[in-house]
Amino acid sequence: MSFSISRLARQALLAAGLVGACTAAHAQDTFRIAGLVPLSGAFGILGENMRRGATIAIEERGGEVLGVPIEVVWDDTETSTQVAIQKATKAMARGVDMIFGEASSTTTLAIMKLAEQRKVPHIVTLSADDRITGADKSRYTFRTSNNVAMEVAALLAFAKNQNLEKMYIVMADYSVGRDLAKILETELPKNGIEVVGTEFVPIGTSDYAIILNKALESGADGLSLVVVGADVATSLKQGADVGLGEKMTVMGLMLMDETQGMVVGERGSVGINSTLRYHHTQDSDRNRDFVAAFVEKYGELPNQYAGEAYDGMSWWLDTVDATGVFDKEAWIDAFEGSVRDSSVEGLKVMRACDHQAEQVALFGTAVPDPSGELPIVMEIAESFEAEELFAPCE
Amino acid sequence: MAIIVVGLSIGMLIFLLAAGLTLIFGMLQVINFAHGALYMLGAYLAYSVAMLTGSFWLTLVIVPLMLLVLGLVIERVTLRPIYDADHVYQVLITFGVVLVIDEVVRFFWGLSGRQFSPAAFLVGSIDIFGTEVSRYRVFVIVVGAIVMTALLLGIEKSRIGLTVKACSVNPDMAAALGIRVERVRMMVFAAGAGLAGFAGAIAGPMLPIQLQMGNAILLDCFTVIIIGGLGNIRGAIVAAFVVGMSRAVGQQWAAEWVDVFTYSLLVLVLLLKPEGLFSKKERTA
Repeated sequence: MSFSISRLARQALLAAGLVGACTAAHAQDTFRIAGLVPLSGAFGILGENMRRGATIAIEERGGEVLGVPIEVVWDDTETSTQVAIQKATKAMARGVDMIFGEASSTTTLAIMKLAEQRKVPHIVTLSADDRITGADKSRYTFRTSNNVAMEVAALLAFAKNQNLEKMYIVMADYSVGRDLAKILETELPKNGIEVVGTEFVPIGTSDYAIILNKALESGADGLSLVVVGADVATSLKQGADVGLGEKMTVMGLMLMDETQGMVVGERGSVGINSTLRYHHTQDSDRNRDFVAAFVEKYGELPNQYAGEAYDGMSWWLDTVDATGVFDKEAWIDAFEGSVRDSSVEGLKVMRACDHQAEQVALFGTAVPDPSGELPIVMEIAESFEAEELFAPCE
Repeated sequence: MAIIVVGLSIGMLIFLLAAGLTLIFGMLQVINFAHGALYMLGAYLAYSVAMLTGSFWLTLVIVPLMLLVLGLVIERVTLRPIYDADHVYQVLITFGVVLVIDEVVRFFWGLSGRQFSPAAFLVGSIDIFGTEVSRYRVFVIVVGAIVMTALLLGIEKSRIGLTVKACSVNPDMAAALGIRVERVRMMVFAAGAGLAGFAGAIAGPMLPIQLQMGNAILLDCFTVIIIGGLGNIRGAIVAAFVVGMSRAVGQQWAAEWVDVFTYSLLVLVLLLKPEGLFSKKERTA
């Protein structure tokens, strides 16, 4: 049997061409989504809720976009940036049409780089690090949820309106937390509030008693409690035993809502103040439909992680559908500057300059549920308009 | 004073969980990765029992019994057929049990966390030397001390303990003497599962009841049984207090370094005395 290098090369090229053609054709048959979320580890519950919210967004449109079925593959990033990068790389090699996720800002920043290299649209519905739509912004990444800057602005305004004099800061020890602490330490004194202590706590700490005692004994009348994942419930539950909410004005970012109240209980939840990215009581047809579908499918109310995921995914898919073409660049062009007046969180505008959704910020206070069905319900204490929170695009 | 109470309560909770883990390892030579999941299941069951009966005290009785029965089933179905197999199979099968329990919890209780309150007189705080300390933590310390004493007496001073030790040290000889080793093994695993359930019920009012709640504390438990010596209850007691107090003291002075302190201690023990600080030398002849 004769062997020819040139013949082999021709056959290889032909095979590669056939594979490429098949892949291209396949991309037209389905709309492929890579859902990269933590389904295990410290952020496991966040990821599961994100998956649930996004799933409702896909199902409500009959599982189709651009006239083709949506094929979504959920990959567990295991609350690990390294695992997330590996899975994102594999997903992009599969030729996905969009990436959804992740929860951790550090991981999202890493995925963004890959998405930019491979020119794959990337939707972020939870990670709040300002760099995502700031210094590290990318044409291919959009954040439909809050960023740190707007949440901090809301928190500062809320603290000022409470006429607090001294603040103690308990902060999750991660990159966003460190940045946040610096901002609070700088900005609170400008608002007439003295920072009397800052404590960084590792994520996953199972006992907050000593730290909360230090806050109580510091003489502060306010506590900025910015912890994440399971630590939120741990800290508030243990704070209840020493009357934390009665002795200090406790406030934080995504610190409390009705689902969190179910974990913490009424005693530890009442009086806690928190930013609210999404609230299931939002008065709109879309939100009512979403809540009904969510309750029917999962038997419980959607929390902030699920609400944000639903909002981002449904907004993006509606935008893609409206373009009518299978072209990633066209989808991105359409999403830039798009206005979402039917968002489940009120009006949202996707800023073309940085791909950050411009929206209102809400601050809520937990109060006992008058109906007695839930331990607490959130009352909207203050609302901050987008103009107060965002600098205009240059 | 608050540091001591908090440190003791952390140590006691870790001990309650680590005791079952070390008991199972000491007797069965099985590293039970499902122990954290059993603890989580115990906490969820405690929530449901508390909701159904309205009694915190009943949870402390019913839940360990439920987990004990579950432990009997798990041992019989999953572990007994593979005691003689390589350790890797035991690790894999207990990891499989974790996945099953996780899914069961998801199915019955959903993703939302749960909470229940202890008896009314355990709610709130008491003043100890000018510092407010949670009453429930004091209760955890008392309960932990009772369980600790009972375990020590049961293992070291009773006929049951002697039988368990005999089956652990030389199962063939124990069997030749008429002891039903398989039954003893099953009871030990069940007792370990019951202890995990008890720890879950005790932890319920203090920690959030949610999926994967067993993972973080399981890491502390492995730290405790490695420092104390695998299968050594006395070692587990001392190591649990060392870990508990190091966490409390660490949080007082340098919260961000707590994990570094704890795991440095673990690394140090593994380097200098890998068999654990309190392990006994085995007789070889």
